[in-house]
Amino acid sequence: MVLERDILPYFQWLLGSEDSVGALLQFVLVMLGFGLLALIVGYLVAAARHGLLRGGDVVFQTVTSAFRDLFQISPRRVWALSVLAVKEAWRRRVVVVLLVFFVILLFAGWFLKTDAQNPGRLYISFVLTATTYLVLGIALLLSAFSLPGDFKAKTIYTVVTKPVRAGEIILGRIIGFTIIGTAMLVVMAVCSYIFVDRSLDHTHRVEETGLKRTAASDDEYGYLGRTSLDAYHRHDVELNADQQGEALSNHSHTHSIEYDGSTHRVSGAEGVMQARVPQWGKLRYLDRQGVEQARGINVGNEWSYRGFIAGNTQSAAIWTFGNVDESNDPDGEGLPIGLTVRVFRTHKGIIGKRIPGGIQIRNPETGVQSQLELFDALDDKVYEYTIPRKLTSTGDAEIDLFEDLVSSKGQVEISVHCLAGGQYFGFAQADCYLRLPDASPVLNFAKVYLSIWVQMVIVTSIGVAISALVSGPVAMLFTVSFILLGFFKDTFVDIAHGPEYGGGPVESLYRLVTQMNMMSKIESGVVAAIIQAIDSVLEAFMWSVAQVLPDFSAFSTVAFAASGFDVPGDKVLQDLTTCLAYVVGLAVLGYFLLRTREVAR
Amino acid sequence: MSEEIVIQTRALSKVYRDFWGRQKVRALKALDLEVHRGEVFGLLGPNGSGKTTTIKLILGLLFPTEGEALVFGKSATDVGKNERLGYLPEESYLYRFLNAEETLDFYARLFDMSPDVRKERVDALIKQVGLDKARKRPLQEYSKGMSRRIGLAQALINDPDLILLDEPTSGLDPIGTREMKDMILRLKDEGKTVVMCSHLLADVQDVCDRIAILHQGELKELDRVDKLLTVADVTQIRARGLSKECQNEIRDVISRHSGELMEMDNPTTTLEELFLSIVRDSEARPGRRAKVGASETVADEG
Ligand SMILES: Nc1ncnc2c1ncn2[C@@H]1O[C@H](COP(=O)(O)OP(=O)(O)OP(=O)(O)O)[C@@H](O)[C@H]1O
Ligand SMILES: [Mg+2]
Repeated sequence: MVLERDILPYFQWLLGSEDSVGALLQFVLVMLGFGLLALIVGYLVAAARHGLLRGGDVVFQTVTSAFRDLFQISPRRVWALSVLAVKEAWRRRVVVVLLVFFVILLFAGWFLKTDAQNPGRLYISFVLTATTYLVLGIALLLSAFSLPGDFKAKTIYTVVTKPVRAGEIILGRIIGFTIIGTAMLVVMAVCSYIFVDRSLDHTHRVEETGLKRTAASDDEYGYLGRTSLDAYHRHDVELNADQQGEALSNHSHTHSIEYDGSTHRVSGAEGVMQARVPQWGKLRYLDRQGVEQARGINVGNEWSYRGFIAGNTQSAAIWTFGNVDESNDPDGEGLPIGLTVRVFRTHKGIIGKRIPGGIQIRNPETGVQSQLELFDALDDKVYEYTIPRKLTSTGDAEIDLFEDLVSSKGQVEISVHCLAGGQYFGFAQADCYLRLPDASPVLNFAKVYLSIWVQMVIVTSIGVAISALVSGPVAMLFTVSFILLGFFKDTFVDIAHGPEYGGGPVESLYRLVTQMNMMSKIESGVVAAIIQAIDSVLEAFMWSVAQVLPDFSAFSTVAFAASGFDVPGDKVLQDLTTCLAYVVGLAVLGYFLLRTREVAR
Repeated sequence: MSEEIVIQTRALSKVYRDFWGRQKVRALKALDLEVHRGEVFGLLGPNGSGKTTTIKLILGLLFPTEGEALVFGKSATDVGKNERLGYLPEESYLYRFLNAEETLDFYARLFDMSPDVRKERVDALIKQVGLDKARKRPLQEYSKGMSRRIGLAQALINDPDLILLDEPTSGLDPIGTREMKDMILRLKDEGKTVVMCSHLLADVQDVCDRIAILHQGELKELDRVDKLLTVADVTQIRARGLSKECQNEIRDVISRHSGELMEMDNPTTTLEELFLSIVRDSEARPGRRAKVGASETVADEG
């Protein structure tokens, strides 16, 4: 699974640390910045309409009465308006969306193949992604057309001539549409869970004739074999002396096998939906000479998410994990880890052949290191392994995992090497993790739906706030562009802040028109100064806009569930908090838009 | 006296502009009005004369281009004034998917009423406007008159001190019109202030204490109804028991005070005549406050 940004602990994220600004402070700054901007623009407009002094008075009145209104918000009024929004949505037959949803599930059932390597991943990501788009779409339509509809039908006249505050109208809409959206999400969540679970369920038979008895010693023996081919795959089977056991997870799930004396009974698929709980560490690289580097080798990908290490050199990827102790090993079998390897081949060899690699455990304090444990890597496969308690050190001494390899501060290092010359392994920080006890997949599914809910609430808030000023179609267009821009948030920030080649927007335009190279310096002079001055203002503006753009791709947690990972609680909390921030900010925006709007125009 | 003033407008003007800020219509020109507590005030004028615009400005639904409107001494854009105000719009601007009960309950909630009060009030109003049988039907099934009635109930939900009625009798049957007029008078007896606009002159004449006549956004006439309709320089006499001779010499008899004088007053014109003459005069000499007294009306007519 790709995790481009670290997920910080909630309070560190909220309050910040020495080297990063907390989300709370950022929110306050953005609110202040935009508030100031709004004041200036508001004053200019008011001054143009009423004159300099009177304009100032109008702005002052508007702001002070806004604070008064804030304290006069009545839950009963907000609730009445929410119920109205629910009834309106109901009357506009939003439930039809559920029908569409069932049709999508039907099509998924017909067309999604279960013969893929990992059908669970395909099913889960398809169903969840479809749900996301469906729900966001309906949130968009409901929110963007609701208030404009009221203006059109003039029903707003009878509402605003009651002691209703503009903020209550906005909040009521947001809450109402959230309620109806939540109800639909709950239905969709239950149905899609059942759907995924049922679609991927299957069973096998044990091929009785192929069962072979194996023995470690005379007392200790078992059976190896394989299952029949069902649902496009078969499993290896491992049974104990009583012929009980399981079909192994060759295909990301298992089946347990019982023996009643004559036949083997294979259970339904277990663990199709997983919620592995990873504990992530910090990654650094060693280059070919064994010198520490922050980044790995770039094998020519645009996307610099993964760094590569060269095979058969000193090169290594080293993760440092903190807070490791015996609680990481609840069943006393060792320390379970997961490792995803991307393989980059410089010569073909035999396609599909595994590339050998090695794992070493090291104590960062004492430098004690275990001997290289070998594994065979296939591209993009999760390699799961339990580091045993008893290991041998490089000095051939017997060592204990927790006593000798974990430092007094609870830190342990895991380094991975590629052993085939000329081949490369690629890793990102999230590719290696200590595996904590699994969480409940049902709960994880619910968490993914919660993240869809967060996105829905944000879209609803944007739609409602904007539609306080403009007509339905315009509000919709605006909301959609806001969302699309959100996807390019990073590009926005890059232009505003990053290493810009060829300058800001105006300078780039100047270069384009004059056909000037990106790198050559602009001759300094009045023109250049003006261009750069405009650019710096534009860049500041772009930066602030980028700060408020919601990054919907970052909100989505579909990838977690699809690749069988638990959605971290910290992320859920962060997203909920961000959602709240958006609702507050957008409600304030909507309030002022509605208040300063001439209702009967 | 000043606290008795419920609505005050000062040089209230409204210019409708299009999207680009170009002037479209000057709907209201420097209107000065005062409406006192406890009176029924009528706004009269032909179609498009600015009656609805005035009401919307008073409600804060429109922002004045110039001047200001004060309601209960507060600015018209202040939400607080709405606590004591009821508004019946010129058409039914209600949620068509709600039924009568839900509609009234919704508006009652907007006044932050507690559930008990709400239930009682909704029930009483539905009965009062005669919609008891249709209380569970959605408003989209309502006839025009029924919509009017539920609109009125909605305007009265908070037992307001000031009620603004935009053409209250339009769409009502004769019985409904009668009831509406009775209701306005009852509200007046309860000490409430009613501002209504209408072009049904008979209705206005029956219920209004004072009227303002607007034409093309200008105030043409503003006074008490009885005063406006009194023809000042004409005297009307009704007498009984006069002989034929006396009747022939009626002027002498009167000058000598020899008959039994039963009634002696000025005749009244109808509001319709006054209205038409003001409009006619305004069209002939635009931009000036009407100078036509009722006397001229009659004189013209005679
Ligand atoms: N939203 C608007 N945009 C532009 N012009 C408008 C608007 N509303 C009203 N007007 C114009 O303002 C003038 C006054 O309209 P208003 O609705 O106040 O008249 P009225 O006296 O209520 O008429 P009626 O008796 O027909 O209801 C008219 O010329 C009308 O065309
Ligand atoms: Mg009108």
